[in-house]
Amino acid sequence: MRLTDASVVIRPRSAWEAIDLGVLLAKQHAGLLMLSWALVTLPIFALLCLLLWDYPSIALLIFWWLKPAYERLPLYILSHALFGAKPSLKQALKALPGLLKPQLLASLTWRRLSPTRSFDMPVMQLEGLSGKARSQRLIALGQRGAKGANWLTIVGMHLEMALWFGIISLFYMLLPAQVELNWSWDSLIKAAAGEWLWLEHLSNLLYVLLLILWEPIYVACGFTLYLNRRTALEAWDIELVFRRLRQRLTGVAYTLLLSCFLLLAQLPSNAMAAASSSSLPIEDPIGPQAERLLKQPLSSREAQQSITQLLDQPPFEHRETVTRWRFGDEAKEPSAADAKALSELLKNFFTLAELWKSIDAVALFFEVLLWAMLFGLIAWLLWRYRDWLSTFAGRIRLPQRQHYQPPEQLFGLELAPQSLPADIPGEVERLWDEQPRAALGLLYRALLSRLLHEQRLPLQSAHTEAEVLQLVQALERKELSQFSQGLTHHWQNLAYGHRLPPAALKQSLCSAWRRLFEQGVQV
Amino acid sequence: MSPTPPSASAAARPLLDTRYKVETPEGIDLILRPAGLVPRALAFSIDLLIRGALLGALFAALALLGQFGMGLGTILLFLVTWWYMVLFEVLNQGRSPGKQLMGLRVIHDDGTPIGWAASLTRNLLRFVDILPFGYTLGILSCLNHPAFKRLGDIAAGTLVVYRDNAPASPELPQAEALRAPFSMSLDEQRALLSFAERAQSLSGARREELASILAETLQVPAAQAEQQIHGIARGLLGPT
Repeated sequence: MRLTDASVVIRPRSAWEAIDLGVLLAKQHAGLLMLSWALVTLPIFALLCLLLWDYPSIALLIFWWLKPAYERLPLYILSHALFGAKPSLKQALKALPGLLKPQLLASLTWRRLSPTRSFDMPVMQLEGLSGKARSQRLIALGQRGAKGANWLTIVGMHLEMALWFGIISLFYMLLPAQVELNWSWDSLIKAAAGEWLWLEHLSNLLYVLLLILWEPIYVACGFTLYLNRRTALEAWDIELVFRRLRQRLTGVAYTLLLSCFLLLAQLPSNAMAAASSSSLPIEDPIGPQAERLLKQPLSSREAQQSITQLLDQPPFEHRETVTRWRFGDEAKEPSAADAKALSELLKNFFTLAELWKSIDAVALFFEVLLWAMLFGLIAWLLWRYRDWLSTFAGRIRLPQRQHYQPPEQLFGLELAPQSLPADIPGEVERLWDEQPRAALGLLYRALLSRLLHEQRLPLQSAHTEAEVLQLVQALERKELSQFSQGLTHHWQNLAYGHRLPPAALKQSLCSAWRRLFEQGVQV
Repeated sequence: MSPTPPSASAAARPLLDTRYKVETPEGIDLILRPAGLVPRALAFSIDLLIRGALLGALFAALALLGQFGMGLGTILLFLVTWWYMVLFEVLNQGRSPGKQLMGLRVIHDDGTPIGWAASLTRNLLRFVDILPFGYTLGILSCLNHPAFKRLGDIAAGTLVVYRDNAPASPELPQAEALRAPFSMSLDEQRALLSFAERAQSLSGARREELASILAETLQVPAAQAEQQIHGIARGLLGPT
């Protein structure tokens, strides 16, 4: 065994990584391992089936019990392949009888159920230890390695079961439905008669077939766990580097010595060459593409070729082939059978729907719940982004109509109805003789107030007296507009022109007021 | 730098290793360690047990609530079945409780942390891996893929790797710091250092044997080689 020949990277790993390496190792030599395993186990299984035809379970149990015996062959192949001496199939099979001899009885009896079987096997088979030496060695190795080996066996057992049931169920799925129906009836009737023994043997065969896949991996994982433990215990990785270092340094020493000698021998001619090539030509006479170094083992052309080849390979060049599925022929016309199948499907669907309807209380509950969740989500989103909404949603709102606010004053006159006396014409008549300005002002103020609050004229503080008159005319009440015109005219004369109204006006204005605004009260 | 193996047969194919290199645009190799079937199966079993216990406890509590409890239980079943892995993987640095216990985590192929899309894809495609029964396809894919991916991992472009634990500062044996009499590559320096670091776990005879390999090149008698290597290791480590 030479460590430098090892075909795996030797470094201390965790137990799990060692197991992973075993999977890769088994995959690398999968062909030989699986073929040799199949060639050994399948005949034995066939023999057991023939001998114990009536007892399929016992045949399988015996086959399973003999597993440690078959496992010696993959271990032999792996241990040789690891160091670059992979045996051929013939060599491996020839070596098998010799492998079976040592400690076979122990392997098949009291060590059969050991959970660290895969890990212990290399100690016995590769180191050739037995008895006390073996158990001491196992104790030394097993301090750290045993945990991984235990878990490997436990996971392996479950994995065998999972794969076995997987293959059986795949097999069952591929059966036509009609066969399946008959089968369930037949098996009920004929189970006792023993006519289905072949089926049990078939399922046993599936187990044997899956072991072809799994057992080499199991053995390889145990082997790499063992290697890993020894790497850690004996520092194989350090030894490997130390040996290379020594080789490099002693090699370098020889090369140095040799090159010194050559240099000394060549010294005169070198000096001459240096003298002659002191003046270099400024332009290359034969151009940059010309071939050079023609008398050397590696000419420029060959170098160029190898460079091109190198550039054509993966890290510089990336090629990939893309394969896709496309529709081939035109879709066929749906046949009668298809239509029938479709109607059948629809019918089934409707019966299913009927079934659902019968439990719609549950459905209703979930509907409510899910809608509630949806609304809750929307509410949450609104709440979550309330700041954003208040910032940005305000801008897209429609312009609001401005509400009409009746002015409280016009031309400096108070217009609120509460500020007016209850009997306006009476008050006017009382004030007319002594304070005609106050009397006429009160009347005009009362008119504006009535126009604003009873006739609902949209008066604004910007309107002039003439504009108010125009608005009154738009009401199309002749008497009111005449009264307003007269009153306004006199009020303007008094307010701005200081010309007193004629005394006769008092009676006509007051009676007109009473007629216009207090008719309802008088009647 | 990897030393070239001397034998021709080994040189033909690269040495087998479980490491997975990702080259960053800066030309740096990130070394990831993909996890294989056994630790992943154990991590899944742990998660399965946790989920089973959780659902059992919840259903026992919800059974008291009648029909409302049944509806709630169904929703919880949905959440635990489909979101347990996704939520843990995305929100807990690619580690479900099982993976956390087994020292694993899920990442993208290029070493970046796993996101929602990849996590959802790999966990929804569990249903393909389960086919036809008990993860048959997943097991076969995991055993066959060089980076131990199941079908969901291949589709989502994810990788289950071992977490790197923070390295403990090594204890070197006492020795006077020395300069190495020759130049060494990084690998060789590391080997000398790890010889000194692992001195405790090696037997005395084995240490002597290893050191004697270098005795000639160090130009010391074989008996002193070990002490000499410890000195060089201390020199490489520098003042601490």
